[in-house]
Amino acid sequence: MRFAVILLTAALLQDIAFAQKFHPDDPVYVDPDDAVDVRNAARRQLSDYYDFLENTFLNVGDRRAIPAVNINTLGEVPDSSWFQNRHGRTTMSIEALERGPNTGDGPASGTWRVVDAKTEGVTPGFRIRDGRGDQYFIKFDPITNPEMATAAEVISTKFFHAFGYNVPENYLVFFNREQLEVDPKARVEGDLGKTRPMTTADLDDIFRRVHRSKDGFYRAVASKLLPGRPLGPFKYYGARADDPNDVFPHEHRRELRGLSVFCAWLNHDDSRAINTLDMLVESNGRSTIRHYLIDFGSTLGSGSIAAQKPRAGYEYLWEPKPVLGRVFTLGIWDRAWIRARYPDFPSIGRFESDVFDPGAWRPEYPNPAFLNTLPEDGYWAAKIIMAFTVDDIRAIVRTGRLSDPRAEEYLVETLIERRNKIGRYWFSKVLSLDNFRLDGDMLRFDHLESLYDFAPAPAAVTARWFHFDNETGKRTPLGPETEHALGAAPIPQAAAGATGETYFLVELSNRVHVYLRRTSGSFSIVGVERF
Amino acid sequence: MLILALAIAMPAIAEDEKEPAAASSRLEVWKTLREEKAQRLQPERRNKLENALFEFKERRILERFQAGFHGIRPKLGGFETGSGFGMGAEARPRLFDGLLDARVSAQASLKGYQRYEAGISLPRLADERFFVNVDLSYRNSPQQDFFGLGAESQEADRTSFRYEAAEYAATFGVRPIAHVETGAAAGILRVRTGAGTDPRFPSIEEIFDDGEAPGLGAQPDYAYAALFARVDTRDRPGNPRSGGAYAVEWKSYGDIGDDGYGFDRFNVEAEHYFSFFNERRVIAVRAQTSLAHTRNGNRVPYFMQPALGGSEDLRGFREFRFRDRNLLGFNLEYRWEAFSGLDLALFGDAGKVFETSKEFGLDDLKTSYGFGLRFNTAESVFWRIDTGFGREGPRLFLKFGHVF
Repeated sequence: MRFAVILLTAALLQDIAFAQKFHPDDPVYVDPDDAVDVRNAARRQLSDYYDFLENTFLNVGDRRAIPAVNINTLGEVPDSSWFQNRHGRTTMSIEALERGPNTGDGPASGTWRVVDAKTEGVTPGFRIRDGRGDQYFIKFDPITNPEMATAAEVISTKFFHAFGYNVPENYLVFFNREQLEVDPKARVEGDLGKTRPMTTADLDDIFRRVHRSKDGFYRAVASKLLPGRPLGPFKYYGARADDPNDVFPHEHRRELRGLSVFCAWLNHDDSRAINTLDMLVESNGRSTIRHYLIDFGSTLGSGSIAAQKPRAGYEYLWEPKPVLGRVFTLGIWDRAWIRARYPDFPSIGRFESDVFDPGAWRPEYPNPAFLNTLPEDGYWAAKIIMAFTVDDIRAIVRTGRLSDPRAEEYLVETLIERRNKIGRYWFSKVLSLDNFRLDGDMLRFDHLESLYDFAPAPAAVTARWFHFDNETGKRTPLGPETEHALGAAPIPQAAAGATGETYFLVELSNRVHVYLRRTSGSFSIVGVERF
Repeated sequence: MLILALAIAMPAIAEDEKEPAAASSRLEVWKTLREEKAQRLQPERRNKLENALFEFKERRILERFQAGFHGIRPKLGGFETGSGFGMGAEARPRLFDGLLDARVSAQASLKGYQRYEAGISLPRLADERFFVNVDLSYRNSPQQDFFGLGAESQEADRTSFRYEAAEYAATFGVRPIAHVETGAAAGILRVRTGAGTDPRFPSIEEIFDDGEAPGLGAQPDYAYAALFARVDTRDRPGNPRSGGAYAVEWKSYGDIGDDGYGFDRFNVEAEHYFSFFNERRVIAVRAQTSLAHTRNGNRVPYFMQPALGGSEDLRGFREFRFRDRNLLGFNLEYRWEAFSGLDLALFGDAGKVFETSKEFGLDDLKTSYGFGLRFNTAESVFWRIDTGFGREGPRLFLKFGHVF
């Protein structure tokens, strides 16, 4: 941990340390974090009890309100083993959104051999090998809520993939009992952790506890085994001590801070370390670790084994203030979520948009990266969320194959309303001038808050131009502050006439700084900062 | 400048290390960080507490404790208030591929109470349409309280007696539709009573005679038959937040020795749960009555009469505080969730015991009120602390399990 803080300090102070703010390769769009071979990374298993205790009662991680440390000079997240820019950077087609991370059609038709199972506990399931030799985890819906958990898993997988995260391939499957055979070497794990040879009766016992449709088919999610060797979950703070490529503390990675906004949208309250997975894979001739988010059964109103609790997304499992408020007011006072209304759709569970407050959303228990989310982090994530049109949302929700069209429509409408709340909230936290581009001698930009009708457009924008010394950081004004109509700021003649590699800065309404680099007679946008 | 800046930025780097040359690109900066970390890799380790908690879950310690040793697991509590802390062991094997449930248990308390039970059930006959239970039990309560009969009994007249009973019963039931059960039961009940062993209070025979405590000194054997019907729509019987449970039972006790202690009993119990605010608030109501009917001058022995008072009904009074042939009781609770795992409750109880059916009504009810803590999971309340207030002083109850 101490080493990580040192590295962080070094990375953050790099503009001082290396006496230049911008490097020739800025802005970087890809972080090659498979540069060093990961030879000795070992599997790490976390205790979810300890994870709850340390995150709830200890102040783990570095909680300084500092800018995210792994962003490029435009404030964007470079592609890496953690995140690949998808729908937020380019518009994914409807087909690509519907396909998500899936590379095939799921388990091959024909016989599936059950290779191991867990028959006890509240979430029975098993692992199969299909005719192609691929392995999948099979997970079911609770009997009380058919379609709920499987739809949530499939839909949310596609959303998180479109955001940019690494997620498993999750397929919705329909099969009958006769398609399954118990592998002679299959083992089943009982309630006490002991395993024994699996029998047909064990499989029958599982099916007795899951929902079966009238036509005799079972609906489930088939989650394809991830490639590589599992190394266990990653924590939301610090860095893996045995991974040389993991140099940015997780609580200061933008894609992990911004994850809080994505989780708020989909109400993924179970977004904790235990639902992540590091996989050791071969890439470019080296061993490297790829970081995944897994298990989305507790999203979109589903709590995996039942509907999500009414508290999910609104209050931590342990939060003293509201508890004391309830105790001493005899339950007369409570938070607004207590009055949230949910329609009676068993396939949805508890998911709503009226009470939802993007600024107050929280997961099951505190998450250091989420707690470090600054306005710029939330804004970054909100931009991606706002990139999802109604048709995009509808297409992804359709992949959950909810049999009740009213439930499906309710889910779409709720997601749209929550999306708008998120955009309205986070776009108001910064000056949402964005989409900077050069058009001749004009710097053009949009005002996202008004573009999405969340607020009226400002009548004008002020611009103050400087020559920027990249080596020393010194700023030399190029003229007085000027006022312009929203959308464009002309580049001063003095800048346009500069020769050699030169940097310029324009301060827009004192809250957004845009850096331009002039080389070979042309400008490029090299940096954006928000205050 | 670079070296100075590095010295400021990286104070922990050993002095004899060479400072890196100025990086020519952002990627070079990041690559340098990674190469430097590669020289200082450490294995991932859990601390002691995390290790212990990980092993606790990995080795299924809690599940193993609950499952017991070769299926024999501990059983806590379950005796009436005043019996002292009770514990024992039970086994509940499922036999013949789940067709038959067996159970055996033995418990004792610090004050000498004992309970032994054995039984078999076939709960899933014909697609769960039918069920059959056979139960054997023995219980010995050496310090059960008796204050005299009727609503006007005095706390100062507290005595104790020994109640010992062996019961053999068979039940056959039908589930005609969802949530409904009906059926019949028959059994033998052998009762033995004697002097109480509570050193703080006189034994019953020292204060009361047969006129004041019918059946004093009697040792009747009963053969009984019963008919019952139950409707249960509670969402979770162990921690209900919606629905209700309604039961009626008619039971006829035939005095095998024909000593004049035969009687019929008609029991009705109804409870319902009204929830609001997403089931985080619950209003729970219960009403119960137990009415006796005798013929040919028979009497209902005092030890076969229903009692009011204690942790299950009238919580401002002691256990068994009021006894008589008939009983009427009401409970009202307002429950609210403090956080997942703890509900709080305010309650009010009312009830009376009475001798004749003419006294059935809402007049002269004894009342009590109080508050409680209910430690729970989603499926059940596993520990309850109730404090009741009545005219005879406050009462504190610590019980495993819900009140209703």
